[in-house]
Amino acid sequence: MSDVKTSEAPAKAQRTLQIVVFKLGQEEYGLQIDQIKEVVITPTITRMPQTPPYIKGVANIRGNVIAIFDLEERFNLTRTQKEGNKYTLVVESEDVKLGLLVSEVPNTISVNPSDLDESVSIINDASTESNYIKGIIKSRDRLIILIDIFKVIDYEMSESIKKTVGAS
Amino acid sequence: MKNKEEEYKEIFLAEAMSNFEEINRVLTQLEKTPGDKNTVHALFRITHTLKGNAAGMGFTGIAEMAHVLEDLFGEVRDGRISLDENMFASVFKGVDTLGNLVNAVKDNSEVKYKGIKTKLDVLLKRAKEDSKNTSHTVQESFQSFHAEAEVESDDSNAPETSATPELNNQVSFSDLVQVPVRKLDNLLNLVGELIIEKDRILAAQAGKGLRSNEYARLSRISSDLQYSVMDVRLVQVGFLFNKFHRVVRDAATSEKKNVMLKLEGTETEIDRNVLQVISDSMIHLIRNCVGHGIEEPEERIAAGKPKDGVITLSARSETDAVHIEISDDGRGLNYERIKQKAIAKKLITAEDAEKLTREDLSMLIFEPGFSTMETVTSIAGRGVGMDVVKRMLDSIGGTIRVASSEGQGTVMLLTMPSSMAVKASLLFELEREVYAIPLAYTESVISLYKSDIHMAGGGLVATHLGKNFAVVFLKDIFRSPSDTAAQSANTLQNTFAKIHPEEKLEIVIVSFNNRKVGIVVDKLLQQKEIVEKPLMRPVDKVKFISGVTILGSGNVCLVMNIPHLLNFIFGFSAGNKAARNFTLN
Repeated sequence: MSDVKTSEAPAKAQRTLQIVVFKLGQEEYGLQIDQIKEVVITPTITRMPQTPPYIKGVANIRGNVIAIFDLEERFNLTRTQKEGNKYTLVVESEDVKLGLLVSEVPNTISVNPSDLDESVSIINDASTESNYIKGIIKSRDRLIILIDIFKVIDYEMSESIKKTVGAS
Repeated sequence: MKNKEEEYKEIFLAEAMSNFEEINRVLTQLEKTPGDKNTVHALFRITHTLKGNAAGMGFTGIAEMAHVLEDLFGEVRDGRISLDENMFASVFKGVDTLGNLVNAVKDNSEVKYKGIKTKLDVLLKRAKEDSKNTSHTVQESFQSFHAEAEVESDDSNAPETSATPELNNQVSFSDLVQVPVRKLDNLLNLVGELIIEKDRILAAQAGKGLRSNEYARLSRISSDLQYSVMDVRLVQVGFLFNKFHRVVRDAATSEKKNVMLKLEGTETEIDRNVLQVISDSMIHLIRNCVGHGIEEPEERIAAGKPKDGVITLSARSETDAVHIEISDDGRGLNYERIKQKAIAKKLITAEDAEKLTREDLSMLIFEPGFSTMETVTSIAGRGVGMDVVKRMLDSIGGTIRVASSEGQGTVMLLTMPSSMAVKASLLFELEREVYAIPLAYTESVISLYKSDIHMAGGGLVATHLGKNFAVVFLKDIFRSPSDTAAQSANTLQNTFAKIHPEEKLEIVIVSFNNRKVGIVVDKLLQQKEIVEKPLMRPVDKVKFISGVTILGSGNVCLVMNIPHLLNFIFGFSAGNKAARNFTLN
């Protein structure tokens, strides 16, 4: 009963958060639904030279050629299944569009904003210093790590710029 | 289809109409906020453009009218005339007449404009006379007051015309539609998609063994559509060239030189985006001509040349490339100076310098940080720019060549694709991925046995048709991380060492800027016209790949950036050389 209450109450008081949840390694990660454009079956990926290993390459999704990321590899997580990346989550912002590999169809949940704990400070090791973790969602007995995918990308891009400057 | 003459007229009209409307808008604004410098500047600029365009098209009426208005706004801008109500009436009348003149071009009717032009001329002359008597400030203000009074009286003498309101009742529509380039880009993108989809269907059909002429109509229509869209994107180089009159004038004035600009082949058509990319480079090259090429008037006379230097811009198109030639009749390149400078800057060694041909020496001016000018002037001599020009051309697959004879001038030849959209390319396979090389860079395709290739120092060489060239395995390059400083001496021989001695190797010989390299690929596929799309973030930093295209199978094909690849390979060997020198010292 208490669950019903929590899902009803915010509808009146404040907007619920729509979170798309997918599994990476052993944990559940979430993205805000407005960052996601679609979920497709992973198309053939063309590998690209000069890219870090977590960029799997580029693929054609509805005529757009976008980069495909493997976040498990990016976050150094244990691999779920080698061949399991059947689906691609297409995320889009104003200036960047890319695909994230996921092993199963992500599901969408509505959470009460009060379930989102944004104050957690996650201790990262220095090399991955960037605040892409927006917060932790506690929903029933689930723990979902809410990330801002574009912060992850921004970090990559600033890194690659550093590299090219260093190389030249 | 209309002939060229008609087409130009249409374009001129559309531009003139929008100029005219702009003048009206800005002038009304000025009337509300007199003394606003920006609006006066805007008016000056617009009338100046209109004058230039009209003079170019030979519409003297419009040009004269615009000229007098331009002068007037010039005086207003410099504060020698202040516009009051009566002045505005005259100016508006002048502008309306200008509008009538523009409209008259359409139906070849006659418009009388001398009356109002003379009147504005008179106003101008008075203002100029005023400005001569500027020795006494008190008198000046009195004078201008006096002049205004006179203007007023002059105006009241002239019969008020009722023509103005009538004219404004008519709303005219231009036959041209202005379309943002963004929309055109989008359209071209969609056409690209269509072509890819067509290819996919054809590939699927061919697999089923059906007759391929089933889709002949589809092929024809889609390729017609593609060329039509590409045609829409073409603009005349004249639009860019005409802007250089001002560039030359400004540069010449600041250098105290006399320079004339001659334009040839202005009707040559080129993709608007290519034109945009080269415009900055062109400005740079032209300024260089004025700054470095053309001599001071005294020097020219001493050398027995006419006092005025001439810079000629000429354009011509050839199949799918456009050549633009920038030539001047100045002092030409000083090859000795280039040599010394290059040695001083450690770009080449003294022994190498003796071996270099003139053409090689000319290319040195495109090295970063190279400038032979001793003093830095405002327009040239900072040693930046020529390398930027080079890089800009590289990015669109263009080339630049320089020829010069001392004392007679310099010719720079820019060659660039007339369209950036479709490229004939050679497809090949490497580690199961498909890549494309634009045919513009491929010289030939050969196959050699391993025994034909020899290790030479840290690299590989082969001989074909009596010519030696370097050979690299693309795999090795893609594998070697570009940012590792510690390059083992034989990174480029890795794959070579591993392959079977009797293996036959497929080699594509690519060349760019007289640098030739044979690249070893796994398998050659076919030759194909591709629609290249730019890389999207976050992979747009990958320098080896200039873009992508989608194959008939729906898979992505990477398009090789040959200029960068060659620069990288030669930079790589230069890096090794530097490392060796270091250990020797």
